[in-house]
Amino acid sequence: MVVITQPVAENGTPPTILETRDVVKIYGGGQNPTRALNGIGFTVAAGEFVGVMGASGSGKTTLLNCVSTIDTVTSGHILIDGQDITQLRQKDLARFRRQSLGFVFQDFNLLDTLTGRENIALALTILRRPPREVDRRVEAVAAVLGIEPVLDKFPYQMSGGQRQRVASARAIVTEPALVLADEPTGALDSKAAKDLLESFRLLVRQRSATILMVTHDAFAASHCDRILFIRDGQLFYQLVRGDQSRKVFFDQIMRVVGAMGGDPDDVG
Amino acid sequence: MTSADLALRNVRKNLRDYTIYFLTLTFGVCVFYSFNAVESQQAIMGASASSGLVFQDFSQIIALVSIFVSLVLGLLILYANRFLVRRRKKEFGIYLTLGMSRGRVSRILIGETVLVGLLSLLTGLALGVSLSQGMALVTAKLMRLPIERMQFVFSPQALIKTTVYFGVIFLLLLVFNTVMVSRQKLINLIQANSRGEWFRTPRLGVSVAMFMVALGCLAVAYAMVLVGGPARALDVSTLRWVLLLVAVGTGLFFFALSGFLIKLLQRRRAIYLRGLNTFVVRQLSSKINTAHVSITLVCLMLAVSIGTLSLGLGVSKSIAYELGRGAPFDATFRAAANPAAGPAYRGVDLTAALEEVGLPLETVASRSLAVRYYEAGLTVPLWLTQNGREERYDVRAYLLRLSDYNAVLALMGQPQIALPQGRYAVNYAVTNAAMARATEAYIASKPTIDLAGERLTAGPDTFHRQVMEVLRNQDFDMTMVVPDRLVEGLPPARDVLHLDYLDPKDRSEALVQQAEDLLRTDSTTRLSLWTRLEVESFADSTSVMLAYVAIYLGLVFLIAAAAVLAIGQLSDMSDSLGRYRTLRQIGTDDKMVDRAVLAQSLTYFGLPLALALAHAVVGLVVAERLLGAFDKGSVVGSGLFTVAVLAVVYGGYFLATYQGSKAMLRRQS
Repeated sequence: MVVITQPVAENGTPPTILETRDVVKIYGGGQNPTRALNGIGFTVAAGEFVGVMGASGSGKTTLLNCVSTIDTVTSGHILIDGQDITQLRQKDLARFRRQSLGFVFQDFNLLDTLTGRENIALALTILRRPPREVDRRVEAVAAVLGIEPVLDKFPYQMSGGQRQRVASARAIVTEPALVLADEPTGALDSKAAKDLLESFRLLVRQRSATILMVTHDAFAASHCDRILFIRDGQLFYQLVRGDQSRKVFFDQIMRVVGAMGGDPDDVG
Repeated sequence: MTSADLALRNVRKNLRDYTIYFLTLTFGVCVFYSFNAVESQQAIMGASASSGLVFQDFSQIIALVSIFVSLVLGLLILYANRFLVRRRKKEFGIYLTLGMSRGRVSRILIGETVLVGLLSLLTGLALGVSLSQGMALVTAKLMRLPIERMQFVFSPQALIKTTVYFGVIFLLLLVFNTVMVSRQKLINLIQANSRGEWFRTPRLGVSVAMFMVALGCLAVAYAMVLVGGPARALDVSTLRWVLLLVAVGTGLFFFALSGFLIKLLQRRRAIYLRGLNTFVVRQLSSKINTAHVSITLVCLMLAVSIGTLSLGLGVSKSIAYELGRGAPFDATFRAAANPAAGPAYRGVDLTAALEEVGLPLETVASRSLAVRYYEAGLTVPLWLTQNGREERYDVRAYLLRLSDYNAVLALMGQPQIALPQGRYAVNYAVTNAAMARATEAYIASKPTIDLAGERLTAGPDTFHRQVMEVLRNQDFDMTMVVPDRLVEGLPPARDVLHLDYLDPKDRSEALVQQAEDLLRTDSTTRLSLWTRLEVESFADSTSVMLAYVAIYLGLVFLIAAAAVLAIGQLSDMSDSLGRYRTLRQIGTDDKMVDRAVLAQSLTYFGLPLALALAHAVVGLVVAERLLGAFDKGSVVGSGLFTVAVLAVVYGGYFLATYQGSKAMLRRQS
């Protein structure tokens, strides 16, 4: 396994959690291979809430799959927390996933046979954490996300928003280096989506989580610190929220989305 | 592409799903053929007349049992088919959505059913025919029959019967599947994968209470048959209650188990919160919850199977032993009143009668002894406990002179007896355990008889259980041994002539058998002959046949139980694939997942087996009491046999299930 030394954090700059370098992913060989990722490169710093946007087929899902170690890259490197995951062997990948990554999926992917509490605890028990610590950490993360009332309910007894917050709790409870969220608001109504995104902000602020969220929804994206726009497997544009209000940021996003069909220079 | 092509491709594509189904069909066909073909094994053996009769009786028994067996197998196949079809409902839905007609989809399904049916029928028959060859050798050895010529054992009748029986089952399948496709609404087919049913575990208190009731039922049932020792009589009405309690207890046990187990384990956080344990416990609990009825059935079937397999061999050996006991000499001729010719019996000099038909004793016998029994109109009332009531059973008793009794004992090489003044002896070679108990009770009461003005008393010290003649069935008479002078002037009841053959024995046997045919022509009295050879061959063949019937039934039940579990587990696995995908996404590695699958399979197969073993052991203890002690060596032997069969069939299904589950997971990733 290749360990690449972190760039030293200077005067309070947060360290880099995720870095992709010239990542290329080619599907299918022979006559007409598809370049799903075409030399994409970017970094995400600790404590950042980054959105990834792009049209269908832009490569954003492929990017997420590669970062989440569910798929492998054709060339290039992906560094998470200083570790090059493209160099990890198959059997180390599962360990890496459970130790360093958290996942939130569009359709929640909670285990329907387990209660909310057990779903969250599972992320810790597969890390062989002692029971007392498991209980304590589940309670703590549930308090932040406001899901204590549903902890002992089964997923089918919860609303969509509650399910997604339980899923988020499961993703964050292990304190992973990076949380990957794939269209987390896709199956939620607007109220639940807003609550979830505010929960994400809370996790970033209170528990210094780092979140990479793939979404096609400009409203969801407007809660992020920064948006990466992807087109044709390459980084097409970046937007940083900075000190702007969410409303202003949302308008900016809408403009970029509108321009996505054309040239980056069209963005004003 | 024709429907047939599609069907073929589908079978090939779903080969792994079909594995258990195919295995079960093949096993079923193989066992069905093998046992129905037992009669044909005679072809290679120099079977004697009496073993021929046994073969005939046996094929009738097998025919009856086979009806029941085909019913069990038919239901099993329907059950397996239902799961197979359920898994593919969505696929059929897609065919319909694509505009394929219902008729075409039905034809594809029919094609698949026919294909798998034919394949398993052919494979099963091939296996069955080869199994028959080995079975024939074992039969010959067990029945001590010589193998006269090695030849291919094949039974066309069994082949036709198997084909017809399974043909009918497949036909039913076709109807079932066609109805399924044509009746279902498209929306139901498309959405077949979404799981609707959900079962909430009852509250802890309810679970614990029900679990305790279950244990209570089982404990009471066990106690009813175990407590009280061997002296306690077990009658049918008690047993009915016991069976009911066992069935109810087993059902409740599995119904309450998951709730009970989960609550119990949840309190043990250190175990519950370890690795995938939470997931495993929840999976098991939801599975046992939804399938507790079929698990209960499996458990009961297993108990019957284990009991039948081990009891069948043990009992058949003890029956062989009991039957073999009835041959203290090489042959016994008997003469008694012919019931058709009226009650008067004037006595027959068997030695003279044999000379008359051209068989002087010295040409066949090295030793012989003629003995006469006398009639004094004695019946002995025995009190049997049946269905909770005492019932009187009258046994006829004949008198035998002390000197004759001692002469028979001497011929058998047994020590002589003496009768003190005022005593008589009772000899009754009773085999039935209930009758034996009743007889002992009667003897203990020191019964008396009055003969020629003298009163005689019997007691335990003058009670004997000698088998004193060659007899095939166990219908021994009760004999009262009295001082010689007291039978003076009494009418004869029957005459017997015991022989030990001259060498070569087979020549003597042939001569004696010839003589019997000639004696039969004289019919004012009933004459009969039993030889040791006949009795032993009958005993051997009867025991082998009983063992075969037991193994047949035991195997079928075992296959049925194991297949139901395997199908349940695999279909559950396919329903759970999404859960395993989630587990993998959050970082569970293959090893952890495999261990979780193993733990589930082990529990799923192990729990019913454990309870079934407990049931079977108690059942065996009861059977031993009911049927009388059979020798312990054979119990150990048949126990080992049972374990071996369990390991192969049950273990085989377990492995197939575990591997199948893992393969399903691998295919998914």
